[in-house]
Amino acid sequence: MSTSKGDRRPDAQRSPEERAADHAAVERLTTELLPSLVARLAATGLGEVELREEGWRLRVRRPASGINHGRRAGDRPGRPQPGHAGHGHAPGALESHRPIRGSAGSTNGSSPGHGEPSGFALESDADLPGGAVATSPAVGIFQPRNDLRPGLAVQAGEKLGVVDVLGISQEVVAPADGLVGAALVDAGHAVEYGQELMRIELTGVPSQGSDPA
Amino acid sequence: MFSKVLIANRGEIALRILRACRTLGIEAVVAYSEADRDSLPVQLADEAICIGPAEAKRSYLSVPAVISAAVVTGCEAIHPGYGFLSEDDTFAEVVRAHDLVFIGPPPDILERFASKAGTRQLLGDRGLPTIPGSHGMLRDDAHALEEAQRIGYPVLIKPSAGGGGKGMRMVRSPRELESAIKVARSEAKAAFGDDSLYLEKWLEDTRHVEVQVAVDRFGHGVHFGERDCSVQRRHQKILEESPTLALSTAARADLAERAVRAVVAAGYENVGTLEFLVDTEGNFYFIEINCRIQVEHPVTEMLTGVDLVTTQLRIAAGEPLGFTQADVVMRGHAIEFRINAEDAEHDFRPGAGVVERYLAPAGPGVRMDSHLYPGYEVPPYYDSLLGKLIVWGPDRETAIARSRVALDELLIEGLTTNVPIHRALLASEAFLEGKMTTNLLDRVGSSAFVAAAARSGA
Repeated sequence: MSTSKGDRRPDAQRSPEERAADHAAVERLTTELLPSLVARLAATGLGEVELREEGWRLRVRRPASGINHGRRAGDRPGRPQPGHAGHGHAPGALESHRPIRGSAGSTNGSSPGHGEPSGFALESDADLPGGAVATSPAVGIFQPRNDLRPGLAVQAGEKLGVVDVLGISQEVVAPADGLVGAALVDAGHAVEYGQELMRIELTGVPSQGSDPA
Repeated sequence: MFSKVLIANRGEIALRILRACRTLGIEAVVAYSEADRDSLPVQLADEAICIGPAEAKRSYLSVPAVISAAVVTGCEAIHPGYGFLSEDDTFAEVVRAHDLVFIGPPPDILERFASKAGTRQLLGDRGLPTIPGSHGMLRDDAHALEEAQRIGYPVLIKPSAGGGGKGMRMVRSPRELESAIKVARSEAKAAFGDDSLYLEKWLEDTRHVEVQVAVDRFGHGVHFGERDCSVQRRHQKILEESPTLALSTAARADLAERAVRAVVAAGYENVGTLEFLVDTEGNFYFIEINCRIQVEHPVTEMLTGVDLVTTQLRIAAGEPLGFTQADVVMRGHAIEFRINAEDAEHDFRPGAGVVERYLAPAGPGVRMDSHLYPGYEVPPYYDSLLGKLIVWGPDRETAIARSRVALDELLIEGLTTNVPIHRALLASEAFLEGKMTTNLLDRVGSSAFVAAAARSGA
């Protein structure tokens, strides 16, 4: 995201009032307008959305492939990209493997807290309505449970598999009650901390065990 | 040489190691915590792998996370940078157990130099002067007086069982010693259940001078001269320079030659730094060795033209040094300014936040090692180092003049930095005359020091 103003001058040349006004404008642009721009961006599939207002310009851009972010452990040639394979999403949403717990809650960047990234989490599978994603607890090799197949009912906290860290297993657990969905990483592949491993389709009616743990 | 290396660090040093790897044609994987996802080294890496949450204990300090990251990405070696796991001999041992190479001294050598007291003994026996002290524990008052006489006043009475400065007393005369020793004994007995005491020479107004060395696997070692790190705030270095003004040219050569001879004799390997205290008479005393790359290594690189990080990598890969002491030529004068996110007006409180604007200085002899970029959010979880400005000149005056220009050019908006203290240093008589001692800033008070410089029109 970038904001800019036409008559940009060094801070020293602006009066305190002007600076306060600018800060207020930036605040409004980011907290009020940004979420809707992000939503628009996601809905249209455009690469970039720009809004002009009172000498200010707010531009939201989808990260382009391969630019501005590091390639990940699983991105070696010949491997499907974990977390992105087959879903047709723009690559690069760095937040897409952020550990996401719980159900289809916030679907845009309108949460008031600071530090909410600029709306690209929209592209994350976890934020699709009706789904949650189990993430990796550690760096290692992913081994799902043998009996898992799409449609199998699992409960929040249930073990879905392990990540092998130098011979020591760390459990991968279901983030919510639901049905096993698409595997996002194949068995035996390297995963990083927080990487999305498996989708869980929510069954709709919240059951007693749906505490988003 | 390795074909793929894991960088188990963050910030400017991760970037520095990444550049060294690229220079040697090595693929670099950056291991990062969730808090560093948007950091520059992660963006520039050939590959990046998230090893854990922001909390260092579960990411940069987690031995299994770091080694697992190296294994699953197919790395052959791990560069630990400085801090974190860089001097942990257990970590180095586990790295080796997984058929990986620790870029630094091999684990058995790290272990040999792990204890400070043991290292003083080891290198003291190989010709390095250490701080004079009593031979063993003090038997009685007569023995204490005799030993103090031999060492020379003032002396420090130290409890054998103590630590961290607890129970230490400085005395300036035999009369003071006699009365202080009784109190010290009963205090030590009460505090530690052990009243054994020993004496050490008290050094006042010391300088911190360190010697950079490199030793290859074949026992061929060179030194790269010294660095003066006397400008400190609460034992943290904030400015380093070379050459030191505390020693004559002959004394500097003597110090560096003795340092490299001692570490070669003690079987050291890879890049390292020997730290010394230098007293007002120019006597130097070995205090400790740092078995890793140091924050201030660029000072030496500017003076010698040697890339110390690629040297580390080459030695760890088993290559010979490839040059001799005669090839190491030191030219001119270099100064490094540590740029920290801290507020001089509020007791140097560390800061975090978004870098709104960032412009790095440039020009002849100017080098900026920093991981900042406009829009980067400095996370609050780690140290406050934003970068290092290193300035070289053919002589100290030119280096200082260029430093003033560079500090004026440096623009970091959005964070409060310690740049004011650097400006104050470049305006202070103590620094300009080369008279900084390790306790000077704390004695004056760093904030007062900055304020005084501002008043005098700096």
